[in-house]
Amino acid sequence: MNDFLINLENVLQALSAGLLLGGIYGLMCVGLGIIFGVMRVINFGQGDLMMVGMYCAFYLFTTLGIGNFLGAEVGAIVAALLTGPIMYVFGLLLHRFLVSRVTGVRVAGLEGEGHYAQLILTLGMALILANGGLLLFGSTPVSIKSSLSSSAWEVGPFVGEFVSIFVNKARGIALVVSLAVAAALYFFITRSRLGKSLRAAADNPEAAIYMGIDVDKAHRMAFGIGTAVTAVAGGLVASYYPFQPYVGLEFVIVMYAGVVLGGLGSIIGAFWGGMIIGLVQQLATLVLPTQLQNTAVFVVFLLVVFLRPQGLFGVNVTRA
Amino acid sequence: MTRLLKPSRRTVLQTGLAGSAAIAFGPSRLALAQVQEVKVALIAPLSGPWARQGALKKMGADLAIKHINAEGGIKSLGGAKLKLVVMDAGDSAEKAKNAAQRLVSSEPDVVAGVGSWLSSFSLAITEVTERAELPWLTLSYSDQLTLRGFKNVFQTSLPASFMAGETMTTALNLAEKETGKRPKTISVINDNTASPVAFTKDLRAGGLEKMGLKVVSDDVFTPPLADATPLVQKLRSARPELLLMLPTALSDYKLLLEKMNEFGLSKGRLPVVSNGAPLGTPEILNLLGKDLLEGLIFSIANWPGKGQEMLEEEFKKETGEPWLSQDPLCSYGHIMVMREAIELAGKADRKAVGDAMRKLDTKGGSGRFFPGGNGGMKFDEKGRRVGAEIVFVQWQGGVPVTVFPEAAAVKKPIWVKK
Repeated sequence: MNDFLINLENVLQALSAGLLLGGIYGLMCVGLGIIFGVMRVINFGQGDLMMVGMYCAFYLFTTLGIGNFLGAEVGAIVAALLTGPIMYVFGLLLHRFLVSRVTGVRVAGLEGEGHYAQLILTLGMALILANGGLLLFGSTPVSIKSSLSSSAWEVGPFVGEFVSIFVNKARGIALVVSLAVAAALYFFITRSRLGKSLRAAADNPEAAIYMGIDVDKAHRMAFGIGTAVTAVAGGLVASYYPFQPYVGLEFVIVMYAGVVLGGLGSIIGAFWGGMIIGLVQQLATLVLPTQLQNTAVFVVFLLVVFLRPQGLFGVNVTRA
Repeated sequence: MTRLLKPSRRTVLQTGLAGSAAIAFGPSRLALAQVQEVKVALIAPLSGPWARQGALKKMGADLAIKHINAEGGIKSLGGAKLKLVVMDAGDSAEKAKNAAQRLVSSEPDVVAGVGSWLSSFSLAITEVTERAELPWLTLSYSDQLTLRGFKNVFQTSLPASFMAGETMTTALNLAEKETGKRPKTISVINDNTASPVAFTKDLRAGGLEKMGLKVVSDDVFTPPLADATPLVQKLRSARPELLLMLPTALSDYKLLLEKMNEFGLSKGRLPVVSNGAPLGTPEILNLLGKDLLEGLIFSIANWPGKGQEMLEEEFKKETGEPWLSQDPLCSYGHIMVMREAIELAGKADRKAVGDAMRKLDTKGGSGRFFPGGNGGMKFDEKGRRVGAEIVFVQWQGGVPVTVFPEAAAVKKPIWVKK
């Protein structure tokens, strides 16, 4: 294989890896994007909620026997999807008993619209979840075992016997599920009546109240959906990535960067923000030393913030 | 105040009896009678991310104490029993140092200690123990531990800078012996944490070239990896004959080995050499499965080999662990070194035990629990064990087994010929 073909294969492989990674980052970012978009809450606990989702999928797969019942491959995906409803309820409860105290209509008149209390609350929540996880699950990494994570579909060869792309099966399936969940959510938000009430509560809470929309309920639902979506992403990641209770920290930065990159408040923008991060992270290794791949992500992030502060899909709105 | 100035009748009586006893039995016999137990310490991470390694170290130390006491304790102290004082090093060098400070202030009669797995912890701990003149044994690899001019630090492992060179030379020799061909090309993948960077420093600075190796790809990454594709794709393109892989996080091992499997480079097709204790833990088997680990070779300071079968069986029975690994074996051996030093010192005094440790020169005793040195235990002027060697361990059939040195090897190394 000559240098051109080697370089071509490297580029195609990095592109494929970037798309696979970006898809799952996108879904994580959508979860955070919903919470921020509807509630205007910066949730520092989102990474740790994802961690809870990962353990939830793990125990559904192992202890509850989904893996034995459905087989490792199908079981891993079903466990990830079942994590959604469970974590939705968890999110509702968190909102009902904690988050609602510092968000919504009751803090509308406070200094900084309650953001100081929200920061402290979500940060505290993150610490409790991570350390509680350490007590409950221990520090040894675990992952959902299936043959999917160490096997690949070979696409190609494209040029004679050369230039093939290997698509990891677990990541490939995770990408498809991510796209499906993100699309379903998009249609739910834009087409359904409940989705419209969420958008109304996000756009102008006071006007929404006058129109008979229960804004607190809309916020609760948004927090539940945001938690569930990120948890499903976590469940999918758990099928190929080893995790421990501090894993949330590895992803929360990516989530924030993705949401800001895509445009604060834009759900579709959050998905594409995550996708861009995945692509930059992998493609950067073609031209930069591997240890600088995350630096490349933040250079792109800063460039977008500098050139287009509202994010790629965000709009500048001046409220009346 | 009155009580202080006027001793009670009971105090006078007790003092009188003690004095009479001293006259009757003489000072040495009284000293012997008073030493019922001798305290030795273990500082290990028992909480936080390295708690598992700390627990393994404690298992080995507990077993050694049990054996010594069952054999009659310290003979030169009239059969005094050994007692283990355990302190938690936690998850940072600062906490480890605090544990050492607590130890020297609250347990003044501890005569020697061992700890604390991570080099950074051991470096912090020994700053405290050296000031307290407390003899301290360690398995940590850092050269710096025994380069500070400390008199009471004793390192049983081959220091890191020697370990890297030894690892590569041994790997090349093994490859040549098993395949008849010495590898000429190598790829290096390591993360940018302290230990792998130190390990590869001299190798990158011309060390590999001197060994006749051409570096065809060289990657340093920031852990944890999100995806190992770019790294393994480079291996696929460069096609090295040998891979030196040094991540520190288990998650990175999983991603790298799984990706190699995806790309058809696993199961020895691309021989992988690594270094460090985490590679031999049962957790990595649980996380990666035996197929992915098959054929992986790693160098390590200590691993059970020939002649330690009985100890290993007893350890497994006592603890329920699937095998004896570096951490419990070292702490078992370290307690045995302490016994020899206390026996030689003839008194439960840390300065005397420190002197004895420096003079120690035994054969067939505690040295049996460490590789090299012809089974002996002796420290040089820096506190490094004389003749220390490394062990090569290879995953074969889901179990990490010693494959080098030949004297300790329980199985032959497997090196895929094509």
